[in-house]
Amino acid sequence: MVFFAIVVALHHAPLSWRVKKINLLLASLIFYGAWSPPFVLLLLFSTVVDWFAARWIHGATSKARRRAFLLLSLAGNLGLLGYFKYGEFLLENFTHLLNAAGVAYKAPEWNIILPVGISFYTFETLAYTLDIYLRRAAPGKSFLDFALFVTFFPQLVAGPIVRPSQLVPQFAEPKRATRPQFCWGLALIIIGLFEKVVLADSFLAPAADGAFGHKGALAPLDAWTGVLAFSGQIFFDFSGYSTTAIGTALCLGFALPNNFRFPYAAIGFSDFWRRWHISLSTWLRDYLYIPLGGNQKGRLRTYANLMITMLLGGLWHGASWTFVIWGGLHGLYLAVERFLREAMPARDFYKSLWFRVAMALLTYFLVNITWVFFRAEGFSEATLFLASMFAMAPKPDRVLYWNSILPAAIVIAGMVFTHWRMRSTTLESVVEKTPAWLIGAVLTFMLFMLVITQGSDSAFIYFQF
Amino acid sequence: MTKLAYFDPEDVHRPTPDRNWRALALAAIAATAILTVGWEFFWRGKGMTAGDFKNTEALWAEARRKATGDATVIIGSSRIFFGIDLDVWEEASGVRPVQLALEGTSPRIFLKDLAEDPDFKGQVIVGVTVPLFFGTDGGLRAAAIKYHRDETPSQRLDHALSKQLEGIFAFIDEQTRPKRQVAIWPAPLREGMKPRFSPRKLESLKADRNTELWARVATDERYLAEAKQQWLVGTKNNAPPPGPDGKPPAMPDAAIDAVIAEVGANIKKIRARGGDVAFMRLPYDGAYAALEDAAFPRARFWDRLVKETDSVGIAWQDHAALQGHYIVEWSHLEARAAEDYTRAVAPIYYEAMKKKAAENAAR
Repeated sequence: MVFFAIVVALHHAPLSWRVKKINLLLASLIFYGAWSPPFVLLLLFSTVVDWFAARWIHGATSKARRRAFLLLSLAGNLGLLGYFKYGEFLLENFTHLLNAAGVAYKAPEWNIILPVGISFYTFETLAYTLDIYLRRAAPGKSFLDFALFVTFFPQLVAGPIVRPSQLVPQFAEPKRATRPQFCWGLALIIIGLFEKVVLADSFLAPAADGAFGHKGALAPLDAWTGVLAFSGQIFFDFSGYSTTAIGTALCLGFALPNNFRFPYAAIGFSDFWRRWHISLSTWLRDYLYIPLGGNQKGRLRTYANLMITMLLGGLWHGASWTFVIWGGLHGLYLAVERFLREAMPARDFYKSLWFRVAMALLTYFLVNITWVFFRAEGFSEATLFLASMFAMAPKPDRVLYWNSILPAAIVIAGMVFTHWRMRSTTLESVVEKTPAWLIGAVLTFMLFMLVITQGSDSAFIYFQF
Repeated sequence: MTKLAYFDPEDVHRPTPDRNWRALALAAIAATAILTVGWEFFWRGKGMTAGDFKNTEALWAEARRKATGDATVIIGSSRIFFGIDLDVWEEASGVRPVQLALEGTSPRIFLKDLAEDPDFKGQVIVGVTVPLFFGTDGGLRAAAIKYHRDETPSQRLDHALSKQLEGIFAFIDEQTRPKRQVAIWPAPLREGMKPRFSPRKLESLKADRNTELWARVATDERYLAEAKQQWLVGTKNNAPPPGPDGKPPAMPDAAIDAVIAEVGANIKKIRARGGDVAFMRLPYDGAYAALEDAAFPRARFWDRLVKETDSVGIAWQDHAALQGHYIVEWSHLEARAAEDYTRAVAPIYYEAMKKKAAENAAR
């Protein structure tokens, strides 16, 4: 809060726009350095490499040179990710392969700390060079604007993954929030922090952690409560961060894109991915799925492209086979949905409320199956958890007290109902139509809950990705 | 840069709802302020006070940074944490120890941490609650050491700001948080589940972790009864499954040997740098005494530990001045009793250390 107050004060001070941008850049570097000062160098490395790579790609006269400079950018960004995020995973699997082939090899210990937000900012800078390479955009003219785009503190460590086209142009002209923008930005910060600190950490984490932390089989009630609580925890945690980031940027006069649109009201998986982590799903669509050929190269290639995109999307979240399975399941769901849409003739009842509700609940159910792989420590734990959910695990234990089950059930029921009611609208339009006294009461409740909750117990889940 | 049209994920224009935001913001802030004042008075009425600091890993890390050079450091679990008053110790000896004990946690991990710190050359007073000391893992708050090593600048700043607020508001306490209130709500138990071990607030901390038993534990009979009940629940929940004879299995000699060897090795490292280590047992009684003394007989655990590590060991059972102090809930001294106890134990400690030094010199 103190940091934010200083940044806002400097942003509203009578200084030139260039000085204000330098202030924002320095504030962003301090913000990032507050986690781990040495990793600021990595952030600057990624920024400088892509700034020059993009200029060289744009100025290159031959296809080979363009490709070489693109490779430089890819090697820089993917090299960072590979070393810091996937190094241990690759080494482990390499060791398993050698051992399986009968070669006695013991991998050295891998003690590399993952820099916070590395997957987010490397994807942002990669988008810049890929846009230039694919001739979708021209290089920026100001290094300051580009550096501020990469490091801009509201979205730096956990997204939304902003595109250069969305943010760089906003730095060209002086920006300052109007009073309504500033107040709405503050309201979004309150809503976002309430989602994270109160709903995710206080009322859902105990059930999710209690169930997933148990070593052994669970009673079905415990397993279902655990996975449903996790579905809410991950949503409120991540959506809370995104909403706070959007509010923070708005208080400074900048607009960031939405990252969530009430995803648990999705009807089908293509709908789900238009509502969940939108900035990642569109990034994967534009820089992976479409370059692979998208749906333009026949039915089989479309399914294969969907699977490849989602498998890599899963791996983006973390260096573990359970994330790959999570992505693979989503790829499978998308492929099956696409097949069914093409194979089944249109019927009138598809538009009926009961059918839509049933399909939304089926989607939520299948999403929860994937969350088991996302949250479980490993594959065997995930399969045991799934067996517990369907009463097929031997010797199940009851581990959750009513103190965890009831709050989780209330919050999850409220979340699913709210998502359904808000499915076709936006927060802004609902706020505009709601009586002022009710908005005041809701904001007061959220702010008071934030005060008495006294901060968070844990970092945002997506900081680790 | 040219504006991209055909593949932009979405328009980034953010509409602002058309409301009287100034009035709404003022109303929300005013209403929150009124509710917060009410909340503060509510908790003050329950015995909470401003300047009673949260027992966080950040506060522990702050104290750990002071445990350097020739500092005198207290490690252990809750008995020595609540039972030694730093002000009284300083009055009695001129030395103000650094309090690093943490409830429910084995001091062995702290001893190892200090032994591996080349900058530490001081004296370590180890509070021994035998079941915890000889336990197989670090215990409840073992993560504090990792937090101290990995603490980020933002966490340090957050802690510094939080301490300022804790000095003003009584309600800033782990006990008052909605999450904690839900956790201790006496909900009916699901069939087949053990009662939950989740003791309520027991301690009151000053900024330098000088700690005493929270007054309400001694003055509110219902609160006290619940605390005792919790100790029984904790003991039962943590008890190992009984052996074939129906009795809890005794700790094997090999496991005791391993613990003593590990502790001895760490003590040697500290002594090699000019420091020293001593052990203390603080008083306990009631149901705890019966359970603890039966499962961890003195000759197999305490006596061997003191003898085989060639250390000073001060057990309350051995000194008349350390007996008869008011133990509130079988395990912790009442705040004024802790002051008296400290006044009595400090000279015993320094006398024993002096005697040991003379013996070592004479060898």
